[in-house]
Amino acid sequence: MPSLALLLSQAFNGLALGTLLALVSSGLTIILGTLGVLNFAHGSLLMVGCYVALVVLNATGSWLLALVSVLVFMFVAGVLIERVIMRLFYQRPPEDQILVTFGIGIVVVETMRALFGSQTQHMAVPPWGEGVTRIGFLIYPTYRLELIGIIAFTLLVQYVVLYRTSLGLVVRAGIENAAMTGILGINVPRTFLLVFGFGVVAAGVAGMLYGPILSVTPDSGEVYLVQAFVVIVIGGLGSFPGAVLGGLIAGEIMSITSAFNSAYSEVMLYAVMALVLVVRPQGLFGTEGRV
Amino acid sequence: MKRFPLLPELTLVVVLVLTPYVLTHVGFSYDLMQRVLDWGILGIGFDLLFGWTGLLSFGQAAFYGTGGFVTAWLLLDGGMHSVWLALLIGTIAAGVVGVCLGWFAVRRIGIYFAMITLAFGQMAFFIEFNPLSDFTGGENGLPGVPVPTLGWDGWAFRINTGLPMYWVMAAFFLASFLLGRRIVHSPFGVVLRAIKENTARAAMLGHAVPRYKLAAFTIAAMFAGLSGGLLGVFQSFMPPDAFMLDTSGQLVVQTVVGGVGTLVGPAVGAAVWLWLRDNLQLIPGVGSLWKLILGAIFVVLVIALRRGICGEIRHLWSRRRLARLPDATRETRAPEVHVAPVMTMTAPLIRARPDAPALETSDLSKQYGGLRAVDQVSFAIQEGTIHAVIGPNGAGKSTLFKMLLDEVHPTEGQVRLFGRQITGMGATRTAQLGIGKSNQLNTLFLDLSARENMRVAALGRRRGAFRLDVLRRADSIAEVERQVETALASVGLTARGDLPAHVLAYGEKRRLEIGMALATGPNVLLLDEPLAGMSPEERISTRTLIREIGRGRTLVIVEHDMDAIFDLADRITVLYEGRKLADGSPDDIQRNQAVQDAYLGGMRDVHEPA
Amino acid sequence: MNETGKVSSVRRRTLLLGGLGLAGTCGFLNQALAAEHNAPLGTWPAGISGNTAFLGITTPLTGPYAADGQDHQLGYELAIAEINAGSPLVQKWGLKGKGVLGKTLRYKIADSQTKPNVAVQAQTGFIQQDKAIMITGCVSSATAVALEELAQRDKVLNMVGASGSNDTTGKNCQRYAFRSQPSAYMACRALAPVVAKALGKNLKAAYLVPDYTYGHSVFDSFSRFAKEHGWTIATQQVVPLGTSDFSSALLNIANSDAQVFVNVAFGADAVTSTKQADQFGVLKKMKMIVPNISSFQAKETGPELMAGVYGTFDFWWGLEDRYPLAKDFVQAFVKKNKYHPRWGAHIGYLQTLVWAVSVERAKSFYPPDVIKVLEASKSDPYETSLGKVWYRAEDHQLVRPVPVVVGKAASAMKNPDDFYDVVEVVPGDQVMSPPDAFGCHLGPYT
Repeated sequence: MPSLALLLSQAFNGLALGTLLALVSSGLTIILGTLGVLNFAHGSLLMVGCYVALVVLNATGSWLLALVSVLVFMFVAGVLIERVIMRLFYQRPPEDQILVTFGIGIVVVETMRALFGSQTQHMAVPPWGEGVTRIGFLIYPTYRLELIGIIAFTLLVQYVVLYRTSLGLVVRAGIENAAMTGILGINVPRTFLLVFGFGVVAAGVAGMLYGPILSVTPDSGEVYLVQAFVVIVIGGLGSFPGAVLGGLIAGEIMSITSAFNSAYSEVMLYAVMALVLVVRPQGLFGTEGRV
Repeated sequence: MKRFPLLPELTLVVVLVLTPYVLTHVGFSYDLMQRVLDWGILGIGFDLLFGWTGLLSFGQAAFYGTGGFVTAWLLLDGGMHSVWLALLIGTIAAGVVGVCLGWFAVRRIGIYFAMITLAFGQMAFFIEFNPLSDFTGGENGLPGVPVPTLGWDGWAFRINTGLPMYWVMAAFFLASFLLGRRIVHSPFGVVLRAIKENTARAAMLGHAVPRYKLAAFTIAAMFAGLSGGLLGVFQSFMPPDAFMLDTSGQLVVQTVVGGVGTLVGPAVGAAVWLWLRDNLQLIPGVGSLWKLILGAIFVVLVIALRRGICGEIRHLWSRRRLARLPDATRETRAPEVHVAPVMTMTAPLIRARPDAPALETSDLSKQYGGLRAVDQVSFAIQEGTIHAVIGPNGAGKSTLFKMLLDEVHPTEGQVRLFGRQITGMGATRTAQLGIGKSNQLNTLFLDLSARENMRVAALGRRRGAFRLDVLRRADSIAEVERQVETALASVGLTARGDLPAHVLAYGEKRRLEIGMALATGPNVLLLDEPLAGMSPEERISTRTLIREIGRGRTLVIVEHDMDAIFDLADRITVLYEGRKLADGSPDDIQRNQAVQDAYLGGMRDVHEPA
Repeated sequence: MNETGKVSSVRRRTLLLGGLGLAGTCGFLNQALAAEHNAPLGTWPAGISGNTAFLGITTPLTGPYAADGQDHQLGYELAIAEINAGSPLVQKWGLKGKGVLGKTLRYKIADSQTKPNVAVQAQTGFIQQDKAIMITGCVSSATAVALEELAQRDKVLNMVGASGSNDTTGKNCQRYAFRSQPSAYMACRALAPVVAKALGKNLKAAYLVPDYTYGHSVFDSFSRFAKEHGWTIATQQVVPLGTSDFSSALLNIANSDAQVFVNVAFGADAVTSTKQADQFGVLKKMKMIVPNISSFQAKETGPELMAGVYGTFDFWWGLEDRYPLAKDFVQAFVKKNKYHPRWGAHIGYLQTLVWAVSVERAKSFYPPDVIKVLEASKSDPYETSLGKVWYRAEDHQLVRPVPVVVGKAASAMKNPDDFYDVVEVVPGDQVMSPPDAFGCHLGPYT
């Protein structure tokens, strides 16, 4: 039985893990909710953001420039994918959409491998994030602590856009009923475009933030894709608050489990997902009956 | 296809026999051929699940691995000598796991289903890797699986790798294909297709959809288990990657490339994919770029050639066949409905009281949040009558209708069929008990022919909610076929029976919709706006049809066409704002002031000419 | 004179008869020997019927070990190019002329995607289609074990690629497979005394162990040898293979009272875990040891993190000063590929050359003959880039020195690849396990 101090440390770690997951999942859930597309390429797009940031950082050394580049590049990438490919699939059955995003994911990963090679790239922790911070008995990397704050801010921005702007209102209406929204005269295709771009940007930003922590290889994103699935199932498909809360819960599940037996931390996540899907498929915030 | 009944099977035999001699010249080793066949067997099961039942599973690896490791373990540490027996046990083990996991998985559809299967697949991988690693060898897998032998003792003939093993794999693939073909052409297979086309309708016709899905899932799991066991045997090594998500993913990709819903699609897809993978790498300069190229090809295929290689071929074939049908069958004509041949009617299963009304409701109500759509409606429908339900828009007619067969559960109140309580049973059970419904919006199986649509309907009650009759032909039940033909004749679609339903004109689709409800052989038939969208001529002939059907049967009709109502109905119930406003003979209703007020909005006083 | 004449004619007759008899016996023996070599076995003699011999090579070009895989491939390609050219370099190893026994080497490289099944499939194809006379190449023990099995079944020689598990020459050993990399046992047995001397006795160690048999076997081996110097286990954190976030495990480690951090993770996992360990302050609190250092670990984490870290390699190019053939190898590799080879490349290179030399010693490609030469190498060790090495007959493990290295500070680096100093090169015979320690039972020759 792990000590209380250890459990608390892990619980805190779960919070940090969870915020990262929440950010990754928010993009996925918005795309799913609005467009009905389960984006299997999400994990690979996360790494794209990471590599873009890396390139800009190596060239200029400026985190600010890296952030701007990621925002712009990922948005353009998202728009391109939506316009060229996803647009063709809205009338097709959901399985076809899964298949095409699956394929896009493979293409993106392999393109990155062709451009950057398979060796792990090194992304340094930003100067303002170096070192550890001491909170009572807890020693924690400063960067991760700062990330909690940064991501909370990013999620807040997303929240404001979704719930306080007219664009966000349209997006949420689109999530509820795309056909109806269209009938009301709103330019639904353009909304879809913006939503897809938005979701992809979220993934890219998450990738950039993750960069200093994980190993930057083309394959690294896949793990997060599957974990993001779990999160949005727990939180409710298409629900933004669900993604946030689901992310935190998932982070806690992994951390607390590892306090007891770290080998089981990931599989526990799958077990919980299966349980939710069987008992309450709509998750915490999802609407029953709507996929 | 009737002209060459065994054409696909014979073609396959020829292909399998020629393959080792032809394909070796284009870069296929015997080992690669065996792998393609192994993926092919795995794919037949997957195609039954995805192509026929419409369930996209990302977790087939769980069963592939289970079957494979059980077989391998039995042969290595388990001390079993017979490879064939080990394969059998492995297949059964995979089936058992399939039933257990499937019971959870098939409760959900679409994306949810895909994600549950993905989760289960990952869990299975973990179990192989960690807790059970003493049995499974963890990340090393189980090397040294023995090859099978034919015969006994002195006459034992070891099947070595290379060409002899190819024949074994080819035999298994052929057997799997034959079984697969049997399944898809059986009544069971027809129902699976109906489930894929329109799940709700299939349920309403009396088929226990969850059980079919579970059966399909388990069958797919068993094919997977067999192919997993064969993998370990033909390469003498059972690898842990059998359990990986990658394996499930590759299966999906290969099936899509080869063609979903073709049974051989997965094998063809595997051949193309694996051949490309092996040979792309050998092109100088390509090296590790092979996966990028294949990924791009896959994306293009999904976008453009959505049916896959075999699927496109089959599509072209069926288009040509359609074009070659005699003109008469391809033209739309006004329906010629004569006296409908008498349709046999199954006697009601239970008659609680001999004098019970056919259908009766007491205090039936339905609440949606704050809206009370149906409020305390009680009325009775006598056996053998035509009973109409009318009312202005929003009166709650459709909701009431849905509750009559329990398509929607009432919030309060009861429905009784021949005196027996059916509230809360669900549309599938009520269909088995003798209620049929035709919908206001056509709910047909659009990719099936008209005849097949009728057959799905007729199979419902005659065959029972669920039957695993995978070995007989779908059109081999004489009673059912008679029912089908009679139903087609009743709605005047006999000549057009072999055309896919989506080709039919709107009026014909309406008739097919009604005909399907008829084909279930119901005691009580509910018709929801049967005349909706029909031209005046079509209305006349459909009214005649309804009158014919109504002979000796109980009909309940919702309609807006007042002429038709007052002509056909023996009794009319009027709904207004969810409540029963009036209930009586057509004359009573015509004279009823409240009814007129309801329809005209109480403006009569204002507009009465002076 | 008559006696001498009679004697000489007797002698002449004896000589003649004896000569005839000898000739006859020789001829008979020749026939007999020729008959013994006539039975085809595996891909022999079909695979060498022309003037080429085919090598089947698998290596991961995609997937998590792709970086090591590409390095591995380059080692093979260098060896084969040199052999076919009959360069002075390979003459020093003992080869004569161009190619092997005059036959040019052909080869194909297949991407194993770090999956054993894919490797087995590719190699089976090479055996069946290309009649490979030798199969080789892998960067994982799981793949190694699977290929060993294939080699034994199809009677084709397998010079094992990169594999560090004890089982490869333990319970999964095969008559047809030979492994050159030090086993986990060897590496740990070499490393433990060195670190005990450098860091101290009676220390507490925290272990990060990836959850698969290789990870567990390294943990078992190292903790056992460390115990001999009084080291204890403060905590053992087992993490799923391919974990991207080690924070939970590292928290536990950081909160333990260990003085040493033993990181058993490999490949990309090693890089990630090291970076994250640094972020959690573990590296400041404890000294890190990596029993089996991944090829590009220092380059990928940055030299600052690996400075002062002890570990072992199969090979480090810094050995060039010790072994002249290592110097040749490194120079040729740098010239061709513009970076210093890592140990994946070295294994490919060494295994190919040792095989070639063995074939020439056996004067035949016939697998049992080559196997017997390899097994008999104790009496006639090979001159290689690791000095004199030989294969142990009982389990086919190469008896060879184990280099123990320590990471250099960035300021001390003389070229972009100069990450480590070689602390000690422990002689092979000091670190070998008892041959039956891991349950090896070699199979038959035919």
